[in-house]
Amino acid sequence: MSGRMARLWRSMPLRLALLLVMLFSTVSLLSLAASYAVTQASFEQAIRADLAQDMAGFRAAPSARAVAFLVEAESRATDPNRSILSYVTPGGVVYGNGAIARDDEGYHIITLRDAPGDYAGDYLTLTDTLHGGLLTVARSRAEIEALRAGFVNILWISLLPTILIALSGGLVIARRSKRDVEVIGRTLDSLTAGDLSARARIDPRWSDDLRSIGGKLNLMAGAQQHSVEALRQVSSDIAHDLKTPIQRVAVHLDDLERVVPPEGETRELVERAQAEVNGIATVFQSLLQLAQVDSGSPRQRFAPVDLNTLCATMAEVYEPAAQAAGKTLTLHLPDEVLSVEGDRALLGQALANLIENGLRHTPEGAQVEVTLELQPEGSGPDRATAPQLVVADDGPGIPEAERDKVLRRLYRLDSSRNTPGNGLGLALVDSIVKLHGAELRLTDNSPGLRAEIRF
Amino acid sequence: MKLLVIEDDATTGNYIARGLREEGHVVDLVTDGRQGLIQATGNTYDVLVVDRMLPEIDGLTLLKTLRGTGNLTPALFLTAMGSVEDRIGGLNAGADDYLVKPFAFGELSARVAALARRPQALDQETVLRVADLEMDLLARKVTRAGQEIDLLPREFALLEHLLRRKGRVQTRTMLLESVWDLSFDPMTNVVETHISRLRSKIDRPFDRELIQTVRGAGYRIDG
Repeated sequence: MSGRMARLWRSMPLRLALLLVMLFSTVSLLSLAASYAVTQASFEQAIRADLAQDMAGFRAAPSARAVAFLVEAESRATDPNRSILSYVTPGGVVYGNGAIARDDEGYHIITLRDAPGDYAGDYLTLTDTLHGGLLTVARSRAEIEALRAGFVNILWISLLPTILIALSGGLVIARRSKRDVEVIGRTLDSLTAGDLSARARIDPRWSDDLRSIGGKLNLMAGAQQHSVEALRQVSSDIAHDLKTPIQRVAVHLDDLERVVPPEGETRELVERAQAEVNGIATVFQSLLQLAQVDSGSPRQRFAPVDLNTLCATMAEVYEPAAQAAGKTLTLHLPDEVLSVEGDRALLGQALANLIENGLRHTPEGAQVEVTLELQPEGSGPDRATAPQLVVADDGPGIPEAERDKVLRRLYRLDSSRNTPGNGLGLALVDSIVKLHGAELRLTDNSPGLRAEIRF
Repeated sequence: MKLLVIEDDATTGNYIARGLREEGHVVDLVTDGRQGLIQATGNTYDVLVVDRMLPEIDGLTLLKTLRGTGNLTPALFLTAMGSVEDRIGGLNAGADDYLVKPFAFGELSARVAALARRPQALDQETVLRVADLEMDLLARKVTRAGQEIDLLPREFALLEHLLRRKGRVQTRTMLLESVWDLSFDPMTNVVETHISRLRSKIDRPFDRELIQTVRGAGYRIDG
């Protein structure tokens, strides 16, 4: 699940959606902040204008006594939380619902009635001398504060749904595009795996660019299929065109064999020529088989192959030949039956080539062991197990530097030039192993060669 | 037997026809698919030998057409390809057996003979005999001159295969295919060594060899 989320997170549409959400939020915040600043400024201006007007009203009073009377009357009807009035007469008497105290920290409005202590909140104040006394009018900034709260509310109400819609939209689009891209991905996987007939099923609802990519993919797959088929046709034509003359040579040699005396030099020559023709035919057949395995087409015939039975049959087929050559062929099978999806004939051929290799390149008295086992793969406590087929001998082995090269076609070690073989056996094993999605490893059996096929 | 060979390559065609005639068969040889189809539908043959690549009508189409008309004459398919797909293609088209070029005549001859005698009452006999050798299929017991011979299961199967085809040559590849169900060409003499083991048990202690080697072809058991 976390893996899926991580994959989704890496998807382009979701990232775009997030980017848009961020952009939109920033722009909304900036514009709201700007309009808040403007509104706040004009509110303050309006309050200051009110204060100036109040001040002007008091100025109309004819004397300090009249001002004191007016202030006292008005402050009785005023909530000190909203508005504060204070007049200090030239004689030092304080009238109103508050007084301005001055200390090191600045002005404070202090209450005169009701509760003692500072009033909460900020006030805008205007102070002037009037008839020798000090008149102060102040209005609370509470309305401006309320305005800020309102703006913050607007921000949440407008922004939250936008973010939610953008995010879920992004997720939906990301999911959908992931699904669409996966259709193309699966097609590519099938093509890579050798199924050249695989095509992407293009949904008409797809976006134009995706449809175009899908269409081009299908065109490419078609072209590839066509050229592979053409190549196969050409190679089968070549095989036919060359094998027929090889067949003719074999026929002529057979005819020759009938007329030459049963003993002597001529007969020997004929027999050597016959052996060479057979060798050519075998190389040809092996090359054709390699090409066919590499094309991946045998995958279409894959079926479950019981490896236990296959190993047992192969070991049994080769056991007398090993014994006749003075070597020992032993078989180790697991208790449980191991099987893989594959082509029985090709897997048998691969195993036969490995066993023949072990028998051919070892001295008399050598041990060749065929082992089938369950091998853990990967790591961790819940790691899976996979079948592993090992053919190991205690012969001279293959020098480490040569181990990759022996998988090349027609490559032969200097030391084995005089033993039969055409340098295609291990190459064919490698191709067959790859066809089955397995891995062929040649390692040191100290002494000898250990060939592992890991499925 | 009466055989039809359809092969466009003159050298190979003549070689097959001559070889089969020398074995005492009556052989008709034609060189293209159309003639082959006309011959095969107008006459009765025991076995057809058909090349895959033929002028006019190719071997696959010829066989399919023939099978489509209900003609079930056993057919041996010759091909230069030899891939498994090719083999399956040939067998699906109605071929009964398959031979990859270049082939030895012994292989072709043995396979033609095997095809001709295919429908036989295999299951009725419970005791197979040649000379003084007896195989009891129910008791899974083999005796020669009254002496019981101990055989491993696969040795038993190999001997049974040869006994059921008494007198007929079985090639190495035919034996690998039928006894071990393996269709590949081993570089090592695997079949030879199995035969040699079988011989050491059923032939060596006695004065007469029942399993014979046919040079250039294979093995047969005969009394």
